[in-house]
Amino acid sequence: MSRSNRMFGDNAFNLLKDLQRSSQTIPAFDDDGVRQVLEEIKAIFEENVAQASNYNSSADRSLWPLLNYRHAALQRNKRCLLAYLYERMQRIKAMRWEFGPIIPNDIKPALCEPEVQFFNNYSKSLAAYMRSVGDGQGIDLTGNLRPPKSLYIEVRCVENYGKFELDDGEVVHLRKNSQHYLPRAQVEPLVRQGILQHIT
Amino acid sequence: MSTREIMSDSENVEQAPNEHELSTEADLARAYEGDDDDDEDAEPITAQKVLEILETAWTNEMFAPELLQHQSDMLELMMSQVAHMEEQMKDLDKNDFRYVVHQMELERIRYIMASYLRCRLQKIEAFTQYIINQDATYDAADKRLSPEEAKYAQEFATNVDEYFSKVATRYMPNQQRGEAEQRIVAPNLMSHVFLKANVAVSGVIVGVDDEEVDLTPGSQHIIPYQLVADLIQKNQAKLI
Amino acid sequence: MDPSIIEFIGEKSMISIIPNFSNEPLHLVYGSVGPFRAGFPVFVPLWLATHLRKQQKCRIVPPEWMELETLEEIKEEEKRSKFFTKMPCEHYMVVAQLVMSTAPDDVPRCEELRTIIKDIFDIRESKLRTSIDAFIKGEGTYAKLDNLTLLEIHSVRPILPYSLDHIARYQRMATASQRDTSMLGLNTTGSASGTGSMSNSLFTQ
Repeated sequence: MSRSNRMFGDNAFNLLKDLQRSSQTIPAFDDDGVRQVLEEIKAIFEENVAQASNYNSSADRSLWPLLNYRHAALQRNKRCLLAYLYERMQRIKAMRWEFGPIIPNDIKPALCEPEVQFFNNYSKSLAAYMRSVGDGQGIDLTGNLRPPKSLYIEVRCVENYGKFELDDGEVVHLRKNSQHYLPRAQVEPLVRQGILQHIT
Repeated sequence: MSTREIMSDSENVEQAPNEHELSTEADLARAYEGDDDDDEDAEPITAQKVLEILETAWTNEMFAPELLQHQSDMLELMMSQVAHMEEQMKDLDKNDFRYVVHQMELERIRYIMASYLRCRLQKIEAFTQYIINQDATYDAADKRLSPEEAKYAQEFATNVDEYFSKVATRYMPNQQRGEAEQRIVAPNLMSHVFLKANVAVSGVIVGVDDEEVDLTPGSQHIIPYQLVADLIQKNQAKLI
Repeated sequence: MDPSIIEFIGEKSMISIIPNFSNEPLHLVYGSVGPFRAGFPVFVPLWLATHLRKQQKCRIVPPEWMELETLEEIKEEEKRSKFFTKMPCEHYMVVAQLVMSTAPDDVPRCEELRTIIKDIFDIRESKLRTSIDAFIKGEGTYAKLDNLTLLEIHSVRPILPYSLDHIARYQRMATASQRDTSMLGLNTTGSASGTGSMSNSLFTQ
């Protein structure tokens, strides 16, 4: 794109647009995009610092709108960039609730190193919190996600999973396409992982 | 009328404690007293009452824009009750009528507790710094965050700051002190809520021009949250 | 809020069943239920009633108000009244829906009932829309909503509080931007030292 067609803030806005458009759970971290926005922020800032001193010494009022315009562009860039990071953070958090404490292999390459670190800290902190609730009695908040309708649900097995032991010691064999009538609370994690499918 | 509400507003307070075959009242009362060593005459509380308090806390929490006061004591009591009942039921036949019905009820209670705590975590994550700052101004007895939640909130705030800093903010020039403050997200306390009065409350201010209204028990209203936040706190009204 | 939560809350309503088995009372945390004696009616929470019915261990006794004549009267009254009339049950829609879907055979003239209950709900909903419209146009921020049931309140939740919140937000923004404009005017016409301090806060590191 030629420089003359570009406006301040385009890069930052594109970061957000791409993220919103993407159909993936989490699209790859846009390293280049983020760097470009940071560079633009820095460039705008330096231009303004140079002209601000000019403005102060010369009392040339005609510079005022330009300084203000640049400052607004700088703030907008920051805001878009932080919104981009915040939205990614929300999706990374949601991943912890959905898939548990390990980042799924197909998603991991999409995260940058600080994001992986964020996920691990978040995961640890959440687990510690859940263990500590009720004076150490502990509660798993990633289960019981919906109001209980029935103790048992009909499920169909989507893939070969193998043996699955229920709380009462009974062992069921989860083979592809087999159907079972199982305690809802115990199979909910498998349903969420897509191993079992709830049939109504 | 052939249907009635079990969860009541205030009339159940006086109700005689109901007996429990699986966990006795005495158990629960002891658990409660054990929790408050300094309080010799802690009144025994029924499991039914604990559940009622938790249910109200749950619905209030779902509809209030801000984080409400934590209910750690009630939660702890109910978790012990659930664990105790599960222990007692271990020996029952899984197809026993009693087993199935008690399990169904426990599922409902577990859902309420989990949904309640999740709802609080969501607010803690959305308004982290706002809540931490707010709690710093409260006395120990009035803190909104439970000790576990306070620890979680602090860890979360640090984690988010680190992430933002590593990826972006430390590369940004012109980081003024005001900017971090600008990033604090606060709940909209003037957002509108649906309210049901538990008791008669007179002289509630309902508008910006100091218009006053008397609430009758059971009456329902839509109103900006901030104007009735204290009624929720004092259990004179609940959010619906 | 998910509608399943409205149902979950409504399922606490008590309803009469006639069990075909006998059992000692059960001491639930919610309160005791039973004793169960085959052939004798007993009150239980709706969640238990539907479970037992699915297992064919009971018949559900429809609540008194689930009867054509009563509902006709309610419907007429609702049409006549400018305000919302008091429903016979706070969770009438949830109870009706659950009872009629779990145990249609236990409810005489089930299909007709379904229609009339839907009619009542629709009349109330359209009344609700009209009042919301008037309320918002009247720029109110407070209203009394007596006799509306939880489900009905829930049905307007996506519109009512949110639109009021937005209107309030626009009003605040309008006030704020007026203030900003006047501040800017002040600064551009201000003394050199005044603008100097302004540029300080904007551009220094």
